[in-house]
Amino acid sequence: MFDKVLIANRGEIALRIHRACQEMGIQTVAVHSTADADAMHVRLADESVCIGPAPASESYLNMAAVISAAIITNADAIHPGYGFLSENAKFAQMVTEHGFTFIGPAADHIRAMGDKIAAKETMRRAGVPLVPGSDGSITDLKEAAKVAEKTGFPVLIKAAAGGGGRGMKVAQSADELEHAFSTARAEAKAAFGNDEVYMEKYLTHPRHIEMQILADSQGNVVHLGERDCSLQRRHQKVLEEAPSPCLNPAERARIGKVAIDAIKSMSYLGAGTLEFLYQDGEFYFIEMNTRLQVEHPVTEMISGIDIVREQIRIASGLPLSFKQEDVKFNGHAIECRVTAENPDTFMPTPGRVRDYHPPGGLGVRVDSALYAGYRIPPNYDSLIAKLVVHGQSRNECLMRLKRALKEFVIDGVETTIPLHQRLIAAPDFINGHYDIHWLERFCGLKN
Amino acid sequence: MARLSVDEDLVRHLARLLEETGLTELEYDTGKVRVRVSRGGGAQMVVSAPLVAAAATPSITAPTAEASATHPGAVTAPMVGTIYIAPEPGAAAFVKVGDRVNEGQILFIIEAMKTMNPIRAPRAGTVTQIFAANAQPVEYGEVLLILE
Repeated sequence: MFDKVLIANRGEIALRIHRACQEMGIQTVAVHSTADADAMHVRLADESVCIGPAPASESYLNMAAVISAAIITNADAIHPGYGFLSENAKFAQMVTEHGFTFIGPAADHIRAMGDKIAAKETMRRAGVPLVPGSDGSITDLKEAAKVAEKTGFPVLIKAAAGGGGRGMKVAQSADELEHAFSTARAEAKAAFGNDEVYMEKYLTHPRHIEMQILADSQGNVVHLGERDCSLQRRHQKVLEEAPSPCLNPAERARIGKVAIDAIKSMSYLGAGTLEFLYQDGEFYFIEMNTRLQVEHPVTEMISGIDIVREQIRIASGLPLSFKQEDVKFNGHAIECRVTAENPDTFMPTPGRVRDYHPPGGLGVRVDSALYAGYRIPPNYDSLIAKLVVHGQSRNECLMRLKRALKEFVIDGVETTIPLHQRLIAAPDFINGHYDIHWLERFCGLKN
Repeated sequence: MARLSVDEDLVRHLARLLEETGLTELEYDTGKVRVRVSRGGGAQMVVSAPLVAAAATPSITAPTAEASATHPGAVTAPMVGTIYIAPEPGAAAFVKVGDRVNEGQILFIIEAMKTMNPIRAPRAGTVTQIFAANAQPVEYGEVLLILE
């Protein structure tokens, strides 16, 4: 087991990783930018190293600085969290080359899943159902028209180097195809330095359902059930729940087996999430994330399994401490992502938190790096807290969530707590009837 | 691991001041620590904790350098690594206190990931304080010396 782990991230996830390490008796090193010198996890970590000025490109994304910090503190392993360098194959490789363990999959797998076209091909060969569309990239408009004809409109043009909802353009009909195709390529080039695009059928009312998997170095692979992350705004998840209100045990077992078989065929290592679109009873693979996800707590609440601990164990060479048949799901969990944004306009509102009082009680968990007096820096994303609630049933969970949101005090900045309160009162949400377009319609109606 | 440290020297110093000046009470407050000494009953230490329960973690920056972080002549580390005060082991240090240096003159070397990076004087001046210790780790922004 590692003696010392360097946490190459910030905010709530850095605190999450620190907590898992502490519970395992592992020393922690917090690397931080100048803007995060007073961050909660920096104060709590055993050691801290300032690695650069506020801009992420010069600090959290600065591979040399992160690795230098690992060298001077004699860390054994580096946990990249999510975002930042967590899916950077070059970083994973550098970490390994310098003699540290990267807590995550091999660089090759990160690379393979980072190329969205290659990822689909890998999954296709492993028997995973895909969204119908092009076989690989589309190089010219003529080919685009042919594939669109075969697939049927509406279609979605997606950047091969994109992912996470970025670099996508819809063409509702043949008239819109040329514009969508050329814009998608231009934007992909600008955003990712690569204008390679592919095409998929645009599903009109899918849900976003993702499968959490864990794979150890001895070939054992398990799934920890699904998460329903359909409530999104501009492709950013706002609320997630587990299990999905629309899946039955048979469907869960079916897609779980599909995911496990695919991962087994890859000799993958660590935690990963396969994302699907689910519509009319069918699953369609869209992409795989080779890292810890923001919404991992809902899976932890219903399974009782500490996913970060498992990541660390797996990375240190230990086998999974349980088998698939040991995984039992209990009750229901919902996570609300609380961001420092205006709840109506979504304008970011960084600033000083005057008062902070998180809710408590049975089945209430708050993952947050906030404290009274903390100054939220403007340089990073706006996620400031994750309120995760568990109940014996979805109804109990909803009641508890309503109660917890009412208790939650974050004073001094605007937050999306009021949005969550409105959203969980909506009849569609209460009945579990929503798809990936629902939240934007709900917010649009509100305005 | 959180521990509030008691500064003995500070308390003794304040107690002596009290004695010398004939005052009955003296309070010293930095915002992070507050110490009050008063007559009749000896020194009384009141240490108020910072807003957060967790005490600041030991950073690898030396405590004396922290006070100089805002000094206009502070030369700070532009990167994370191991600092060397001489061009090679056994050789004379690049600079010592009292030296006059020119702009661009090498002050230290910071080793980061096997590359040696010269740290140069941003302007001409006199070295008045050196905080960097040989072969010690430094973090970004750490004060290395004061150039006046």
